[in-house]
Amino acid sequence: MHQPPRFILAALACLAAPATLWAEPTQYPLTLENCGVEITIEQAPQNAVALGQNSAEILLMLGLQDRLAASAFWPTKVLPELEEANAAVEILTVEQPTLEGILTKEPDFVAAQLPLLLGDDSKVAKRQDFADLGIPSYLSPGICNTRDDAGDIYGSRDQLWNMDLLYQEIDELSRIFDVADRGQALIADFRKREADLRARFDRDDDTTFLFWFSSPSAGEDAYLGGKNGASGFIADLLGGRNAITTEAEWPTVGWEGIIAADPTYIVAASLDRDRWDLDRADNKIAFLESDPSVSQMPAVQQGHILTMNGAAMNPTIRTIYGAEELARQLDALQGK
Amino acid sequence: MSVSAHRGRGGFAALLMIATAALTVAVALAVSIGEMRIPLATVGLSATNHLGWTDAQISRIQDSVIWDLRLSRALVAALCGAGLAICGAILQSLLRNTLAEPYVLGVSAGASTGAVAVIILGVGAGTVSLSAGAFAGALAAFAFVALLSDGGRGGPDRTILAGVAAAQLFNALTAYVVTTSGNAQQARDVMFWLLGSFGGVRWPEFQLLAVVMLIGLVVCIWYAHALDAFTFGDDAAASMGIAVGRVRIVLFATTALITATIVSMVGSIGFVGLVVPHAVRFLIGPGHMRLLPACAVVGAVFMVLADIVSRSVMTQQTLPIGIVTALVGVPCFSLILYRARATA
Repeated sequence: MHQPPRFILAALACLAAPATLWAEPTQYPLTLENCGVEITIEQAPQNAVALGQNSAEILLMLGLQDRLAASAFWPTKVLPELEEANAAVEILTVEQPTLEGILTKEPDFVAAQLPLLLGDDSKVAKRQDFADLGIPSYLSPGICNTRDDAGDIYGSRDQLWNMDLLYQEIDELSRIFDVADRGQALIADFRKREADLRARFDRDDDTTFLFWFSSPSAGEDAYLGGKNGASGFIADLLGGRNAITTEAEWPTVGWEGIIAADPTYIVAASLDRDRWDLDRADNKIAFLESDPSVSQMPAVQQGHILTMNGAAMNPTIRTIYGAEELARQLDALQGK
Repeated sequence: MSVSAHRGRGGFAALLMIATAALTVAVALAVSIGEMRIPLATVGLSATNHLGWTDAQISRIQDSVIWDLRLSRALVAALCGAGLAICGAILQSLLRNTLAEPYVLGVSAGASTGAVAVIILGVGAGTVSLSAGAFAGALAAFAFVALLSDGGRGGPDRTILAGVAAAQLFNALTAYVVTTSGNAQQARDVMFWLLGSFGGVRWPEFQLLAVVMLIGLVVCIWYAHALDAFTFGDDAAASMGIAVGRVRIVLFATTALITATIVSMVGSIGFVGLVVPHAVRFLIGPGHMRLLPACAVVGAVFMVLADIVSRSVMTQQTLPIGIVTALVGVPCFSLILYRARATA
């Protein structure tokens, strides 16, 4: 792979970074349009509740652990670098919390990752519940946008996911908490890492990645990362594309179909949950290498099996970490 | 016969009084118990404030938790318990089948298809709520059963078969949509949504359900004597001057409406509609004039208590209400099966 753009981009990013670090302090009351609702923030929240791992991790990355009263809904373990900050924040439950439990913390702001946790059809809380109590609520702009575009909550995407809406979320949350400079710094860091990855891998549409999230049991149809989801974005960052071409966000595909798709690389996701044996990456690899037909796939034969934290397959800040995890393994495979 | 009827009447008054008292206590408990520690005095003051009797200072959050979350939830639970128990009692009599329950007419399967259509297919493109979709699906399934069973005129067995066919058809439709266009997470959400939960209910749900239940109860009590006649068979009922076909379709439609409203609001909650009528019949006899009100109150108490358990077992989390009702319901169900075998 050719190298020059890498350091040029890095240098450009360094030049750009100091300029973006400076940001205006927030003028309150701050009014934002959020998923079709106008929200007004009277003052910087001091006692917020984060519903959903991604919302919580963004706030922790902004260094706001002291202003977080509690969080809930953690499908996977916290990002290692945030472990210490997160230890100071109470976790209501790793599953869906109850509205009463949330209100017990007397929050002055609620940030949510999914309509499952905050929305008209949610069994947890509706935006009106908080509005009635004068508590502003914020829903991840990435998810309401999906619904508008695709006509459903998670459904399918007709365009490749990217980090723009995540950057919008980081920007808005940082302004809500009056730490816009930290928000801009975080966005600049992510943008740089995105650019670094793109510069590192040549575009080659023949390179395909298969993202295997999990399966209930060996040989059963596998849950995969779909074409336009976070998995597709990771493949794109690494110069290739998703081996799966269905637009569903989480397609279920049989092994015959997977063999036919003939991916260049197979990504075995490692999940923190322990629901099925195949949630573990090592069990996935053992299956890939032992199944009489699957083990004949060129990717398996050539040892093109990569591992990645499954959290990266959700469209979150974890996605870029997953891409970097794969990039390191690709470098090792190519002897760099 | 006359002795047992007499004992039944005394039992009815006693049961109704005890159950009504129990319902009051259960609702009071439901309003007092929760994750937020609120002193009982505050709970009392919140109630009297809202009734306009006092004007005490209470924190806005605590007041909202007591009045908007706990009380609305307890009352919706009570109405759901009452509704499911009444529907179960009516369907058991109409179909002359001890195992009939509110979902026998396929409304639960229909509701899941409706919910899937909204969640996965995006029917209504975000403007139609899950509840509305589920309600439409439930009624569609019932319409299918009504059509297949010739408006209930085909006899009980034919109606039950039509219900089974409807459940199969709508479950297949749900599975088809989930597997062809859905994904694991969506399937899980649909299942979670249908498992039954009072988490999403507030006052608007209570108001709607109260109206539906009031209409339903009036219709059912109106036909209580006709229902008594049905237990002796269609011919016997017809010979007593009852318009068998019309009464049956009116009662089917009423139970379908009540069940569809409940399913679309809180998901399908099993066993209440099956077990409560049997338990009440065992205590006060089969006369519907007494059976239906007693079922309503007992079902309400059962559901409010089950909801308290579901909220209290785990901290910060709610056990799906269907799990609680089934854990109590299954042993009762087994007992009914055992008794049925013993008498056969």
